[in-house]
Amino acid sequence: MRRWTALGLMLIVVSSCSSLGVKPWQRGVLARPDMALAAESLDAAYDDHIYFSKEASSGGRGFAGGGCGCN
Amino acid sequence: MPIPSMTRILLPLITLLGLLSTLPSVAPAAATLDLSQYRGKVVYVDFWASWCLPCKKSFPWMEQMQRKYGQRGLQIIAVNLDEEQADADRFLRSYPASFTIVRDPEGVLAERYGIEGMPTALLFAPDGRQAGRHIGFRESRKAEYEAAIVDLLPKGSDGK
Amino acid sequence: MQLKPDGEGQGSIRQALALAACSLLGGGASAQATDTPWEIDSAVLLYSEADGRVSAIEPVATARKEIREDEFVQLKVVVDALTGASPNGATPSDEVQTFTRPSGTGVYTADPGETPLDDTFRDTRGAVSLSWDRPLGRLQRRTLGVGISREFDYTSLSANGQLSRDINHRNTTLSAGASLAADFIHPVGDIPTPYAVMVPPDQPQPRDTDIDDKLTLDLLFGVTQVLGHDTIGQLNYSFSLASGYLNDPFKILSVVDGVSGKTRDYLYEKRPDSRQKHSLYGELKHFLGGDVVTAAYRFYSDDWGVISHTVDLRYRWNLNRENYLQPRLRWYSQTAADFYHHSLIAGEPLPEYASADPRLAEYDATTIGLKYGHRIDAGSEWSLRVELYRQDGVDHPDDAVGLQRNLDLFPETKAIIIQAGYRFRW
Repeated sequence: MRRWTALGLMLIVVSSCSSLGVKPWQRGVLARPDMALAAESLDAAYDDHIYFSKEASSGGRGFAGGGCGCN
Repeated sequence: MPIPSMTRILLPLITLLGLLSTLPSVAPAAATLDLSQYRGKVVYVDFWASWCLPCKKSFPWMEQMQRKYGQRGLQIIAVNLDEEQADADRFLRSYPASFTIVRDPEGVLAERYGIEGMPTALLFAPDGRQAGRHIGFRESRKAEYEAAIVDLLPKGSDGK
Repeated sequence: MQLKPDGEGQGSIRQALALAACSLLGGGASAQATDTPWEIDSAVLLYSEADGRVSAIEPVATARKEIREDEFVQLKVVVDALTGASPNGATPSDEVQTFTRPSGTGVYTADPGETPLDDTFRDTRGAVSLSWDRPLGRLQRRTLGVGISREFDYTSLSANGQLSRDINHRNTTLSAGASLAADFIHPVGDIPTPYAVMVPPDQPQPRDTDIDDKLTLDLLFGVTQVLGHDTIGQLNYSFSLASGYLNDPFKILSVVDGVSGKTRDYLYEKRPDSRQKHSLYGELKHFLGGDVVTAAYRFYSDDWGVISHTVDLRYRWNLNRENYLQPRLRWYSQTAADFYHHSLIAGEPLPEYASADPRLAEYDATTIGLKYGHRIDAGSEWSLRVELYRQDGVDHPDDAVGLQRNLDLFPETKAIIIQAGYRFRW
C-alpha cells in the first residue's frame, strides 16, 4: 500500500515537472531587470577577465532567456 | 506517534494534495468581460501588463486608434494582468488611455481566452465573432493592425 | 560638424552613428533607426595586488542600439593598462637570485626568502568588439560578433555566433554558440626555447622564433528554464579546444639540488601544445521578498589535469526602487595541473612537460565583495563595487627539498578590486 502511494506521489511530481513554467501573463517578476540572467554583464565580463588571468579555469557562463517573454 | 503510522497518514495526504494541485484552480468570481454589451461595435481587446515592454509602444497607438475610430464604432478594451494595481496605475500615468481598462489580476480572462504571449490582441466584429488575433505588438506592423480594424468598421458616409 | 547650442549637434552625431551602423549591416537606414537611443554601459576597473604585485586599470564602454525593430548592434571598447610584477615561477631561495629579463638584455633580482617577481612591463592592451543580434522568426534569435585585441606582445582575433530558440510557451530557451579565436604571441626578446636553460644577458639567448600562434575553439550549449513565477534557472555546458603555443614566455622553473634545495639552474617552462576543457555551469535566480538571490556553481575539468569547483552567491538587497546593496561571495578551488611542479630536482630526468606557473597550482580562492547601485532614472544608473580576492595554496608541499622546507613556496595573491560604473542613454 505504501509502495503504491509513494509511486503515485512520484508520478505526480514528475508529471508537473514536465510542464514546468508559468503562463505568459505571470512573468511580471521575471521581467524585472534585476531578474535578467544577462544583468550586470560588465561585472561578469570583468570577473571573467580577472579569473581567466589568475586562475586555471575559464568559461561557463552563457546566454540569456527568461525575462518577460514578450512578442 | 510512531513514525510508520504517521507515514501511512501523510503519504496519501500528500498524494491527494498533489492531485488537487493539478486540477484547474477554482477561481474566485473576478474579472468579467461581457462582450454582448458591445454588439454592433468593433471591439479590440488587448491583454497587457505594466512590465510588458512592447505595451509601451502599443498604448500610444491604441489611444490614437480609439480617438481616430471611436466615432465610427471602435471600442478598445485593455485587460490588465498586473497582480499589483499600483504597477498598472504607474504605467497608465506614463501612457494615458481614454479607452476602457478592465482589471484581471488573477488571469481568469487570460486563461479563458487562451492567451499565449504578451501582449495579445483579439479583434471582434460588430456581430460578436472573433475576427482576428495577434500575439505581440510590432511597430512595423502598425499599418496591418489598423487595416484589420478598418476592414470591420461600417463604411462611413463618405464611402471610405 | 558644428555643435549647435540647442543640442541639435548632438542629435546629428547620434544620427550619423546610427546611419553608419545600419549601412554597415547592409540594410537601408530607416527613420526608425535614428530615433532609438544608444544604451551606454561604462565602467572603470581598478585591480591591485598586495606587495607591489600587479596593478591594472581597465576602462570599458559598451554602446548598444536598436537599429531595426528587435535588431541590435553593440560596440565594446576595452583599454587595459597593467603594471607591476608577477611571480616568474622560480621558487624562493636562501640567497639573492638573478634572472635575465625576457628581452635578453638586463637583469632583475629577488632577495633571499622572497618570491621572485618579474616586473617586466606587460604594457597596455586595447580591444574592440562588435556584435549584431536579431530575431529569426518570433521564437529564435541569432547573434554574430567579431573582436580584436592588441597589446605590444599579443594580438587576438575572434569571431563568434550564437543561436537561441524559445520553446514550451517561452518557458524554456535552448542556446548554442561557437567562437573561434586566433592569437599571435610576439614577446619582447622573442619566444624562448622550452626547457632551455636561462643564461645571463652577455650570452646568446635561447630563442626559437619571434612569433607563434594559438587557435582556440569554444562551444557552448545552454538551457534556460523558468522554474516558477519568481525563479529562473540556467544550465550550460561548454567545451574548449586550444591548440598551438600555450606556454607563458615569461615563466621559468627552478632546478634545485635534491638534498640542499639550493637553486642550480632556471629552465623556461614547457607545456603541451593542446588543451581541452569542459565545464558545466548552473545558475539559479530567485526573487525573495523584493530582493534577488543568485546562486551559481561551475564544475571545470581539462586534459591538463586541472579540476575546479566554483560557487558564486549574490544577494541583491533592494533598499527601495532606486538603491540596492549587493553582497557577494565566491569560493573557488582547483587541483594542480599534471605537469605543475613548484621546482625540478637537478639530475632527475626532465618530465615531458613542466610549469611552475602558480595559476596551475593547487589552491583555494575566496572573493568577498559589496556592490552599491543607484538608479538615476529609467535607463541610467551608477554603481560601485568593491571586492577582496585572495588565493591560498600549499605553502609547504611534502616534496619540498632542503632549504625549501623553511620557505613559503606558494606565492599568495591578495588583491582589491574596485569597479565604478555608469549606465545611461544617449
